[in-house]
Amino acid sequence: MSGRVIVITSGKGGVGKTTTNANIGTALARMGKKVVMIDTDLGLRNLDLLLGLENRIVYTIVDVVEERCKLKQALVKDKKNPNLCLLAAAQTRDKSAVTQEQLKEICEKLQKDYDFILVDCSAGIEQGFQNAVAGASEAIVVTTPEMSAVRDADRIIGLLEAKEEIKSYKLLLNRVRPNLIKSNDMMSVEDVVEILSAELIGIIPEDTGIITSTNKGEPIVNDEKSLAGQAYNNVARRIIGEDVPFLNLEEPQGVMAKVKKFFSGLIGKEK
Amino acid sequence: MDKGYIENGFIVDVSNANKTSEIIYELSRILDLPDAQSKKVCLKLGNADLSTTELTSIKALVESMNSEIEFITTGSNVTAKSAEEMEIEVSVLENKVPTPEFDADREKINKELEKALDKIFGDDNSEIKTFAQEKELKEYKEEVKSDKVDKSVTDSNIGEISKEQQIDTDNSPLTTHFSLNETNNSQNLDDFNSELSDANKIEGEDIKEIDFNLDDLRKSLRETEKLPTLYIQRTLRSGQSISSDGNMVIIGDVNPGSEIIAKGDITVWGILGGIAHAGSDGNKYARIRALKMNAIQLRIADVFARRPDSINIPYIQKTDTFVPEEACIRKKQIVISKIHEV
Repeated sequence: MSGRVIVITSGKGGVGKTTTNANIGTALARMGKKVVMIDTDLGLRNLDLLLGLENRIVYTIVDVVEERCKLKQALVKDKKNPNLCLLAAAQTRDKSAVTQEQLKEICEKLQKDYDFILVDCSAGIEQGFQNAVAGASEAIVVTTPEMSAVRDADRIIGLLEAKEEIKSYKLLLNRVRPNLIKSNDMMSVEDVVEILSAELIGIIPEDTGIITSTNKGEPIVNDEKSLAGQAYNNVARRIIGEDVPFLNLEEPQGVMAKVKKFFSGLIGKEK
Repeated sequence: MDKGYIENGFIVDVSNANKTSEIIYELSRILDLPDAQSKKVCLKLGNADLSTTELTSIKALVESMNSEIEFITTGSNVTAKSAEEMEIEVSVLENKVPTPEFDADREKINKELEKALDKIFGDDNSEIKTFAQEKELKEYKEEVKSDKVDKSVTDSNIGEISKEQQIDTDNSPLTTHFSLNETNNSQNLDDFNSELSDANKIEGEDIKEIDFNLDDLRKSLRETEKLPTLYIQRTLRSGQSISSDGNMVIIGDVNPGSEIIAKGDITVWGILGGIAHAGSDGNKYARIRALKMNAIQLRIADVFARRPDSINIPYIQKTDTFVPEEACIRKKQIVISKIHEV
């Protein structure tokens, strides 16, 4: 078995790299794929929090690199899904503790046993980014419909294109607010795709449920009702090659709108 | 002759010091204060016998601080003679200053401590035993109860001392610990214990059976006392890591994401929210104490425990109530118990 190594990166901080990583990983594992996530954000690790695995971490990636433990010992199994594993970053060290070659080696070892290796990248384009990209062959660039995030994503795509190892990269648009797009207060999906001229793999709507799910330490894809959860699920399905249409985010919101929709549905059926 | 007040001067009382070196140390400490500069000094000496040369050096010290010895009171005739030779006004106190009995007191205290320790950690006559099973514990408790009744009936005439002893035995750490384990029904502890066996598996190795050996415990307690102690007065934040070859005392919080590692005991005067590893060189009798035990992980020697998922909330929980707790190894698991008011 040779697993796919996907790096999730953005350049700008706070656009949702780690959230994306946690949710796509969980969604893939729910589909029965064997997934391992690597947190390369040494010193500012968060992925374990989002998965609620902080209390289980004994060994980190730095322990693996410095040969204090075996790679298998450092993999933390998810609470619910046995297909999902986490290789945590060390909180008490900095980015220089792991080199590109070492990360590449870890990825190669993991490829034998896992279908997907999702690498969570740190913000910025310095060593943290270079490390994370080293072992990957695919990339997902996360951005939000803001000028600054799009500019940084453009820079990142430029760097990714220069890397020979990266065979393909896809764009994931996060925190989209259809209402604002409608009122021309936010860049539309088409605008962003046109600026970056990259293939889109998903559109995730802004969802307050993300905040609660982060605080609980449970990825939002486990919540079937959540729109963002569904969107992440669709991204995962696209990753494994299914053809899934993009969600219609411009659904009317609010109680009155829902009532209207319900009645219009009835009328539509009678016709 | 007692001059309680001297114009533009003050009395320096060094009557507790019996050696020249002590007197000089005290004097230099006092005269170094900004208020003490260029003033007259009345020196109140104790029973120390000072020769002329010693007095000269003291005088030189006072003068080097821009002060002047006005007169001396002393309990020693030798000192008075040498002062008269140096033409310093002197008065001999008729009632000699009593030499403080610190040493005797300390010996007494030490003996009592020793006794108390023996009582707690068991010499041959000790009443306290280790309990292999809960049954034994219950039986023991009943025994203690019946003992107590007997004592209170028969020893009622003896008075206060025996009462104190009874209190002592009641509050000895071991008994409180075990009774706590039984009576503490709080969700936290139960959850913690129920997940412990699971947690131990994470290490991937079987943890060796740890026998609770009183002799070893006593020895290790003494050894831990001898270790150097690192004393930190600040809050440890995420990503910070401190390790020590001895014990560790932290006055402040230990935030989630930070870790503290010590070969001896760890005491946190605040909220322990990070990872704490006591007895890192294999001391299975090491303990972790905190005003609020909220740790993500606790490690003692090679035993490992993690916070139960049910209360595993990543952000810091603010608390109004602090319940001091202590973690130690019992039957190869980490057990947390409340520290009772003694």
